[in-house]
Amino acid sequence: MKRTFTYMERDLRRWIRGRINVITSLVMPAAWLIFVGLALPIRFTDNYLDFITPGILVLTMLGASLQGGALLMFDKILGFLQKFLAMPAPRESILFGKILAITLRGLIQTTVILVIALILGAHLLDPIFLLQTYLILFIFGVLLSSIMTTVALSLDDHDSYAAFNSMVAMPLFFTSSALMPYDQMPGWLAFLAHLNPVSYAIDAIRALQGGIFPATTIAGLLVSAVIVLSICIMTFRRATV
Amino acid sequence: MAIIETFGLTKQFNGLVAVDEMTLAIDREIFGLLGPNGSGKTTTVRMLTTLLTPTSGEAKVCGHSVTASPREVRDRISYVPQDMAVDMKLTGRENVVFFANLYGIPRPRETADEALAQMDLASRADDMVNTYSGGMRRRLELAQALVHDPEVLFLDEPTIGLDVAGRRKIWEHIINLKNGGMTVFVTTHYMDEADHACDRVGIIDKGKIVALDTPTALKSLHCHEIIAIRGEGEYKGTVVPDVTFIGKTDDELRFQAISGEDSGIPLLRALTNSGMKIHSFVIRQPTLDDVFLSLIGEQEETMAFDHHRFRTMLRRRA
Ligand SMILES: Nc1ncnc2c1ncn2[C@@H]1O[C@H](COP(=O)(O)OP(=O)(O)OP(=O)(O)O)[C@@H](O)[C@H]1O
Ligand SMILES: [Mg+2]
Repeated sequence: MKRTFTYMERDLRRWIRGRINVITSLVMPAAWLIFVGLALPIRFTDNYLDFITPGILVLTMLGASLQGGALLMFDKILGFLQKFLAMPAPRESILFGKILAITLRGLIQTTVILVIALILGAHLLDPIFLLQTYLILFIFGVLLSSIMTTVALSLDDHDSYAAFNSMVAMPLFFTSSALMPYDQMPGWLAFLAHLNPVSYAIDAIRALQGGIFPATTIAGLLVSAVIVLSICIMTFRRATV
Repeated sequence: MAIIETFGLTKQFNGLVAVDEMTLAIDREIFGLLGPNGSGKTTTVRMLTTLLTPTSGEAKVCGHSVTASPREVRDRISYVPQDMAVDMKLTGRENVVFFANLYGIPRPRETADEALAQMDLASRADDMVNTYSGGMRRRLELAQALVHDPEVLFLDEPTIGLDVAGRRKIWEHIINLKNGGMTVFVTTHYMDEADHACDRVGIIDKGKIVALDTPTALKSLHCHEIIAIRGEGEYKGTVVPDVTFIGKTDDELRFQAISGEDSGIPLLRALTNSGMKIHSFVIRQPTLDDVFLSLIGEQEETMAFDHHRFRTMLRRRA
């Protein structure tokens, strides 16, 4: 457990030192909030900002996780992983440290987006709501960073990882319930959106906004996260002998 | 009991035999594994450091099997791989404290400071590693490897890509560590370095150990005196009695003779008669390089260098 935090601390330290990255990864979601959330003429609700904010929070987490898989990819191709694997520390802590670092990084970024949304006038300032939102984002973060870390373990070089990344990023976002409710979507999109794990995280946060605790959705996300994490551990063990 | 023992250690990659039936016993010493590119040095080290499972055979480090009890092995070793991997965006101290924490050392900061001081990095400990020279980065890796006071240190090409002063410094540190009681298993391309620093060397070619002894014994066993000749024209295999051809480097032909003084002139005459034009010749004592040449043949030095350049390029992109 202690080693997990040591590995996590390393990644967070390196992230904060690369000052530019900390800012640039926030530009996209902030732009969505401001330009789409405030400016788009929407008819189905009078407060589109409140509607879109959960989508943007999940988008931020999605972006953090997609970028995060590259961390293990670079450790692998630059030889860090070799060194870590030859140490007596439990090998799985490398993996847990990564997933925790990516998720925590995503949570820090979503916090910034949350503050921007509040400044723009979104109605989110309820401590219980915020706490539950963070819980959902955390589980979602573990789920996605485990997927991306598994992908990074399975691919050989960073170029194929980047290709995979750009292939899934946009479709995942646009086929989710981030931008409009299911009843406003064309049928085929609503079908895709119901299959998309990103939608589940968004819908869960929206349910919280409506005062409902989405126990089944959260349980679903949690079970998926555990399953994917186990696959990730298995892939890691197989990749490292 | 030897510190490192291997019995018929073998590794195949899809039919390609990278390490072939290697049997070794290494005690408290600096053991150098020498060989050309692709001869299986890194593969050997990776099996001994529990990173690769042998196809067959067995290896023990400090009495523990690398396959049956890898955790016990990892508790006692440190491994510095061929590619330099230190965190550029962290300071030297942060890099070492990170390792001390991973090893679970009781006083991580103090131990890290001691290791940094031992590697002459104390004055630069708080600088970002991206301001370090190549030699300093290698010493930082050694400091990382030393924080948990390992019994065995594995170094894969520790001096590759460093300048002469940088290399000399690394070897001084390696010798100091051995004098402090550590066993050092090191791979290298550079014969002269192995000659000066290693207690024993093993020469590996295509996965097989072809010679194993002290540098002095290897030199006296395989070569007597060396006659090195520079000239023009094709060498057609001419020799004279008591002389054998050992190989050709970029610009010279090398022969060994029981006595260079006696055989030098006849050899030159024979070569001239065969149509060669001789510019210069030297008679000298054999070096490990000559032993290597006679056992393995011409070494493709350029390949190793490009390899290294490629990795450096990758690292800049990251
Ligand atoms: N993971 C792998 N899969 C397939 N073949 C491999 C693998 N690793 C090494 N080899 C092959 O095994 C042989 C030995 O490689 P190894 O890296 O051990 O050589 P080396 O002596 O360390 O060379 P160098 O001086 O270039 O570092 C080479 O032919 C190499 O191509
Ligand atoms: Mg090698």
